[in-house]
Amino acid sequence: MNFKWLSDWFEKIEPKGKWSWLGSTYEAFHTFAFTPKAVTRKGSHIRDAVDMKRSIIMVVIALVPALLFGMWNIGYQTAMSTGADWHWLYMWWFGFLRMLPLIVVSYVVGLFIEFAFAQYRGHEVNEGYLATGLLIPMIVPVTTPLWQVALAVAFAVIIGKEVFGGSGMNFLNPALVARAFLFFAYPTHMSGDKVWIAADLWGSDAIAGATPMGELAAGAHPSASALDMLIGTIPGSTCETSVIAIALGAMLLLFTGIASWRIILSVFLGGGLMGLLFNAIGYNDYMQLPFYYHFLMGGFAFGAVFMATDPVTAAQTNAGKWIYGLLIGAFAVLLRVCNPAYPEGMMLSILFMNCMAPLIDHCVVARNIKARASRATRKEVNNG
Amino acid sequence: MNHTITIKKGLDIPLGGDAERFVVDMRSEERFAVKPPDVVGFTPRLLVGEGDEVFAGQPLVEDKRDPRLTLPSPVSGKVSAIVRGEKRKLMEVVVEADSAVKSAKTENPGLTPEAPVWWMIKERPFGAIADPDHKPKGIFVSMRDTNPLAPDIAFVLKGREHEFEAGIAALGQWAEVHTVHAQGPHPAGNVGTQIAAISPLNKGEYVWTVNAQDVANIGRWCLTGEYRPERVIAVGGPAAKCSKYYRVLCGTSIRRIAEVQLMSPNYPEIAPHSTSHATRIISGSVLSGSAIEADGFLGMYDHQLTFIEEGDQYEFMGWIMPGLNKFSFSKTFLSGLMAPFKALESLMPVKPTYSFNTNLHGSVRPFLFTGSFERVFPFDIYPLQLIKACIVGDVELQEQLGIYEVEPEDFALCEFIDPSKTEIQTIIREALEVLRKEAI
Repeated sequence: MNFKWLSDWFEKIEPKGKWSWLGSTYEAFHTFAFTPKAVTRKGSHIRDAVDMKRSIIMVVIALVPALLFGMWNIGYQTAMSTGADWHWLYMWWFGFLRMLPLIVVSYVVGLFIEFAFAQYRGHEVNEGYLATGLLIPMIVPVTTPLWQVALAVAFAVIIGKEVFGGSGMNFLNPALVARAFLFFAYPTHMSGDKVWIAADLWGSDAIAGATPMGELAAGAHPSASALDMLIGTIPGSTCETSVIAIALGAMLLLFTGIASWRIILSVFLGGGLMGLLFNAIGYNDYMQLPFYYHFLMGGFAFGAVFMATDPVTAAQTNAGKWIYGLLIGAFAVLLRVCNPAYPEGMMLSILFMNCMAPLIDHCVVARNIKARASRATRKEVNNG
Repeated sequence: MNHTITIKKGLDIPLGGDAERFVVDMRSEERFAVKPPDVVGFTPRLLVGEGDEVFAGQPLVEDKRDPRLTLPSPVSGKVSAIVRGEKRKLMEVVVEADSAVKSAKTENPGLTPEAPVWWMIKERPFGAIADPDHKPKGIFVSMRDTNPLAPDIAFVLKGREHEFEAGIAALGQWAEVHTVHAQGPHPAGNVGTQIAAISPLNKGEYVWTVNAQDVANIGRWCLTGEYRPERVIAVGGPAAKCSKYYRVLCGTSIRRIAEVQLMSPNYPEIAPHSTSHATRIISGSVLSGSAIEADGFLGMYDHQLTFIEEGDQYEFMGWIMPGLNKFSFSKTFLSGLMAPFKALESLMPVKPTYSFNTNLHGSVRPFLFTGSFERVFPFDIYPLQLIKACIVGDVELQEQLGIYEVEPEDFALCEFIDPSKTEIQTIIREALEVLRKEAI
């Protein structure tokens, strides 16, 4: 299978002359169809088979279980609320039709901006947005109006990424920038009880239905059981409710080595420790909530696996990753329990730690620098 | 002093085509060359002209800054070509050998800067030719090469134990000699890894390093007063037809060896002076050697030749294909899924083999992923941070992060596994060159 006719066709249509400004776009499609024939020149004459495209695609594949479950859950929640007697396949189809416009808008708007910036700069189009573009529709309420999604995507890609120089240069997770933009610009569409369950197949009408976190913020105990939350049959953002589906994705990311196990583990550790601390204080009902509920509710698991692990915006040193993850988990639980203004603290916690990550790395690297300097002086003293 | 160290971080690349343990004598090759660009820190001044008769050990070029340092002719014969590159840079001085090797015998030979074997001693930092005015804190000799398809040092030194001992004794007059037996995956055998494990280099310190076979060559010089630098090189690689060891003289033309390796059904069509573009010939290891032509010459410090297929072909949707025969440090290919079942390989009727070629397997990107370099980089250094300091040219930060402890080859595995396809070894070499020129 070498599809020579296709590679020949690509070589034939390569933009030249007055069309050469289309180079980035051509290159993006060409390398999507074919891994380039470029060879090494010196140094390591052979190279690992993995590249950026494949690494990013692994993230997309890891999102598929959560995506498929989320689609089903959208239909399931509507069916439960309306009392409709739907086949499970129809529930999935319903959710699929609700998700599709969100995904299409996210990719079309985001990729258009990515291509435009790549063309303008004469760069190759970076594949990072393939993951970001899927993450954004997966973490918004199902009833989010499409124009809001489009605006949020544009804000995230331009302000969150491109102004810093594109993928690899940004310091905030672009998907969470989009989510934060929506959260602060259109709060009525992003929280409360009337956003999580779609009323019908089209439009942004919603049926009332509280998430466990909404109930807790209102001072009530969550009505859903821990098992429901583990499986994910609860209202919430489109595709982040099922801890099991997220765990499947996490297994792929950890096996392939794409995500850092240090970050995922330490986020859960940090959240768990903070939860236990609140259990020990036990001042109110929320503090008495079993610590593991924090893992099951809201965006904690999704954030830990898919957001905190974004390698560009996370800490980059191994020691730094532990500190970064522990603090994300701890701050997320702290915000949930102690800040009534924001029922969910995961997004803000990760964004905050994104800002802190360079500082953490700086301190970790400074230790290494200091150790090296003191080794040199020790030597001098001994010799002198 | 003898050391045994064990390294855990690293990676052995399962490249096929290991050299069979059989030594073919190829010392009678007709053309030889010294290549000044291989010797870092050596600014050549030509001492001979085309057509000049030279004897074995006669200096062909000397260092402009320290004329005691020379690169001698490995054989007696006639200078047949002086090859210059861009900006008239001296690339090669080619000597056509006599039928009989004449060599001037030196009385009371010793390991002095003027000795024809001096260039075999390298100095860290910078990997330059040893400066006799420096006082090294140690001389390191690695007794194992862990590069893909590298020669077995014990095997190639067989029969030269006496010369090796004499070489160690001669080097011992300059500083304490550390012979290191390293265990573990590549880069355990890299001398840089060993220095970092035994006595890391600080700013203002120097260590010297010598290849094990060159220790024997130094020993031979000291014992006999004759310059006859010999190496047994491992010739192999997936594209080599006759993977064996070859006994050669330093700087040998690889023409006759290459002819055998590239032999194909249309054999006679491979004219001796053309390159087979389907195959890349690498003097040195596939991880940090340099590509040479089929009628080129062995690199000054190399003791292996690798033959590998050029990979200038497209691959359909490489980002999603399962990739059963793809080798990756990440486990993003089906081959990675099979890795846990390696123990069962002996039971399999057909053993899984990886295909390697020179394809880059992707496009160049900024650094996105983190954490993998650390797993193949057994230094107390933050590799990504050091690479970035080199890219931005922050000399002070490079020093703080430990640039003096590394050589490009120490980053070879980082470069290999990098999904961003960055030329890391080139970045490190260029940064080191800036520092070296500032230090002069």
